[in-house]
Amino acid sequence: MVASQAESQKSFFSSPSTETPIIKLEGITKRFPGVIALDNINLEIHRGTVHALLGENGAGKSTLVKILYGIYTPDRGRIYVDGRPVRIASPMDAIRLGIVMVSQSPVIIDRLTVEENIVLGLEKFNMFAPIRRIREKIIEVSETVGVKIDPSTEVWKLSYTQKQLVEIVRGLLLGARVLLLDEAITYLPLEEKKKFYKFIRKFADEGGTVILITHKIPEATDVADLITVLRRGKVVGTVPVEGTSIEEIRKMMFGEKSGEITYERLPPGNPGEVILEINDLWVRGDFGDYAVKGVSLKVRRGEVVGIAGVAGNGQKELIQAVMRLRPVEKGKIVYDNVDITNKTTYYLRLNGVGYIPDLPAKYGVSIENNILENIAIIPTFSREIISWKRIKSLAYKLIREFEIKTPSPETPVKFLSGGNIMKVLVSRELTAATKLLVAYNPTRALDEATAIRVRKIIKSKVINENVAALIASEDLDEIFQISDTIVVMNSGKIVGVFPADKAKREEVEHLMVM
Amino acid sequence: MEFPISMIIVRRVKPLPYWIVPVLALVVGLLISMIILYAMSGGVITPYDVLVSIYYGFTNVGLLAKTFALLIIVGIGLLVSFKGAIWNIGGEGQFYMGVMLAAWVALFSGFAFNGFIAKTTMILMAVLAGGFWALLAALPRAYLNIDEVPVTLMMNYIAYYIVDYITKSEWREKQYGFRKTPRIPETTMFQVIDGTTLTLELLILMIVIFVAVWLLFKYTSLGLRIKVLSSNPNLLRSSGISVQLTVVTALLLSGMIIGIAGAAYLGSVSHNINYPVEEYTPGYGYTGILVAWLSMLELIAVPIAAYIIGALHTAGISIQIMGAGGAAVVNIFIGSILLTYAVLITISEYKIKIIIKKR
Amino acid sequence: MIDAFISLLAGMSSVFLAYYLAALGHAIVEKSGVLNLAIDGIFALSVAVAYAEAVYTNNNILASLLLTAIVAALFGMLLAFLVTKFPISHGATGLSMMFLGYGLASLVGLPARNLQGSIRGLEIGYTIDVYNPVWIAVYVAIVLIGLGALFLINKTKIGAAIRAAGEDPAAAEALGVNVLMVRLFAGALGFALIGLGGAIFELAYVQVWSEGTGMGHGWLAFAISLSAGRHPLLLILSSSVFAGLVKYMTTIQAMYNISTELAKMLPFIAAILAMVIFMATPLRRRLAPPKSLGKIYFREERTV
Repeated sequence: MVASQAESQKSFFSSPSTETPIIKLEGITKRFPGVIALDNINLEIHRGTVHALLGENGAGKSTLVKILYGIYTPDRGRIYVDGRPVRIASPMDAIRLGIVMVSQSPVIIDRLTVEENIVLGLEKFNMFAPIRRIREKIIEVSETVGVKIDPSTEVWKLSYTQKQLVEIVRGLLLGARVLLLDEAITYLPLEEKKKFYKFIRKFADEGGTVILITHKIPEATDVADLITVLRRGKVVGTVPVEGTSIEEIRKMMFGEKSGEITYERLPPGNPGEVILEINDLWVRGDFGDYAVKGVSLKVRRGEVVGIAGVAGNGQKELIQAVMRLRPVEKGKIVYDNVDITNKTTYYLRLNGVGYIPDLPAKYGVSIENNILENIAIIPTFSREIISWKRIKSLAYKLIREFEIKTPSPETPVKFLSGGNIMKVLVSRELTAATKLLVAYNPTRALDEATAIRVRKIIKSKVINENVAALIASEDLDEIFQISDTIVVMNSGKIVGVFPADKAKREEVEHLMVM
Repeated sequence: MEFPISMIIVRRVKPLPYWIVPVLALVVGLLISMIILYAMSGGVITPYDVLVSIYYGFTNVGLLAKTFALLIIVGIGLLVSFKGAIWNIGGEGQFYMGVMLAAWVALFSGFAFNGFIAKTTMILMAVLAGGFWALLAALPRAYLNIDEVPVTLMMNYIAYYIVDYITKSEWREKQYGFRKTPRIPETTMFQVIDGTTLTLELLILMIVIFVAVWLLFKYTSLGLRIKVLSSNPNLLRSSGISVQLTVVTALLLSGMIIGIAGAAYLGSVSHNINYPVEEYTPGYGYTGILVAWLSMLELIAVPIAAYIIGALHTAGISIQIMGAGGAAVVNIFIGSILLTYAVLITISEYKIKIIIKKR
Repeated sequence: MIDAFISLLAGMSSVFLAYYLAALGHAIVEKSGVLNLAIDGIFALSVAVAYAEAVYTNNNILASLLLTAIVAALFGMLLAFLVTKFPISHGATGLSMMFLGYGLASLVGLPARNLQGSIRGLEIGYTIDVYNPVWIAVYVAIVLIGLGALFLINKTKIGAAIRAAGEDPAAAEALGVNVLMVRLFAGALGFALIGLGGAIFELAYVQVWSEGTGMGHGWLAFAISLSAGRHPLLLILSSSVFAGLVKYMTTIQAMYNISTELAKMLPFIAAILAMVIFMATPLRRRLAPPKSLGKIYFREERTV
């Protein structure tokens, strides 16, 4: 209660306050159509510190970081680096200032090699010189970070963790003095995160600066010196990690809603008959090798099966195979007593399956079309001739039940906010899922409160309507919150199955990375 | 590199009224055309000349009417595939396949004894021909992801040569020195409406096609799928709808409609085929592209666009340059207007702010 | 026997060079992510420009080549600029430039032809398709150019930047690449090669001009480029096949007694088949097209 009222800036500097901050933001404001992303941000970052920027999805941290990296320019305000005002109009400008960003999805390009990716940011490197000249240097720096990769490897062959490490190597080779880690390690399990923590600490101790952007409080408190909390585009306050309680931080992050934000396990389902059975499934990935290697799994009505795993361990391919969006090499899938291994997505759509894909804006909705069309396109809701009357009444029902903010159902979805677009998708698929809901990262882009509400809605549908749910998520908090059974995937195989009430976090995390 | 001028592009909150861009594109495009024609002709073709011929194009109702009607059909045909972001540049080929099959029915099938049977068969065969020709390009696109633009375009050439071959040899008017087919029998000619250059059949076809396509996009799942194909094919896949099938259907329908235009052209305007086809083609397959685009892919706007483009087409052809045909001028028109349109369409969705920085 | 084979090679050297340069240029442009549907229009325009310049300069080959390359390069830069700076359709922009190219080609070529008609004895071009050592130089040049291009694209920073812009321009930008500059460079270089291809097609092969000369050959170059996976060395193979087909079209016609029209169709049918074969086989995976080819590139906001 107190923290939400208090716009009081609780600041504390761990180094002498007379020292010039390496980065200073003054009055930074950024607007996008219809929304103020950043409102008069004032912030000082000091050299040699690990400074966390904490805030839930939509709070503005990503926008702020993109401004620091030259991807956006502020509408108002100034940036000072080493006390001098600067203009950062492109990532190249940022790199020249010693600011390098590593984000949650690696920017390094799959089809290029490690050394090619790195050399692109090296200004001094001659345009026409052979790239292999840089190879020695890369190997040298990689060793200091603790990674062994052949620089002539094409990036698509690397694991997610390796890619992030390469990004760090790149940052160092570009002469980074400030590392912007934009949720870069948020989706790694603790064991992998610790590798990065070690490096981050070393980097800061040697005089580097790290700005860690995250929406997970433990990440901030584990490794940072200072935490600045953002909420709805404004700085709520800056506090030292030492001496500030988690409770205080939570209140700063969520304000009045902090009571709602709990990662407590949702009420358990009551599993009934098996509706989905996967038997020894083998599925190929995008590059030809097997992504799913002999997975067997059962999902029952009235239960949520959560698949935990680091990105890139086969969950995506498994989900796609279940939805028949990917061919099955070996094995069998049985849905509602029918062998669907050779059936199509269309069949599933007509038989009570709902699907929330990863990257929903890309695969789940069409932003150029309106809500009515986005509903009508799903075969579950209409056949050859469309009855717009029926679609409209369904649309109004969903708008009401999920509080979707839109001028009208005929407005193209692109004019809706990200959260509302997700609501369209989730509400539609929940309606379609009369027997089974299949999802991958269903709440990834949502702000915390909405994400939790969505999980509650899913769970209550599972319980009350005896629906089954198979949910894969890279967010372990989500898995623990919503599942009845937790399944751990690693390297395409299932390495652990636990009833959710008995699962131990450390054990699951360990299985995710071993 | 630091430039003193900076440009920022930001998405608009509310888009501009939809008609602003086509009108602007027309005006600016024509302006650009005039500049090009003036410069390249060494001052021979003045903007005044261009305006005069445009005036002539708009007022020459007789010439305009049949161009207008045919362009509507072709425009609608192209609209069907463009709405799915399938760029059917093969209108010429599909058109002439329609002409060829309709000519076969009229001249050699033996159905000419009864006008109604003959004409209906002509149209039906043209539908099949145009559809088939489009299918040949649709399959590689749908199943092998081969860009339909080069394929449909090259098939235009192939179609020209097929029709050329058959006109020159098998179907040649059996008189020395004539390089064309005989005229189609009276019974198979479309019925002229008194006082106009339009024919009854052409009018009926135009209306029927218009209504059919309107129904397609308003009430059918297929129509919606074609629209979503252009905005997000991934959604189609996630929904369980075959993207390939949608692509093929869109292109197939497109070709079928344009084939009808070919039959209508044969029955109402040309009444025979002249060799070589490349020289005698009215080029509706290409100008139709502009009609479809300028109507912003809205069915209602197609007649308006067809009228304007039809007038420009007539205008362009009438501008003679240095002893050669006016097809080049039409190309300049199409190119300039299309280019302006492609660029200007940005402003309907985005605001462009120019900032001049002071040192 | 060897003699016949050699004269075969010599005879098609001009078309081979023309197609190779055009296809290579096209490949470079597309590798940077810019879909090039303007190729036929610009090829036809290049043919006309080369012809006109030759007429006006009393057959100064060098001047014609240079001017054509520059004109084409300007168009390339225009295309690259428009599709990178504005979130517009590559296809529509390219197509409109195709129409413009056709129109401009006529406007450029017709006055020149009238002029040539009025000058007695003005012959255009420089013949290399004969059994003399020049054609060997042409073949060697092609291989050298191919190796050079391969080195540039795969081993240098600019090549990596071009490929990065083609794979993922947003990521490339974040990695420090100035995507606009890179695409302008690729556009200029690529289209200059296309222009040279057109110029050589006209000056070394056709050596006359009428409205429509060159039209369609740009699309053949497109197909050549696609069916060879845009690989500088494989392009040598595919362009030689098509060069042979086109150059010896009349010979094939006589040999198999087919009509002129069917012979004219052959290169196009072959082109479509070549593309189909490429895309239908594992070739397509090993030599995959740039991931962001033709994709509209747009950041929430951009500054010059």
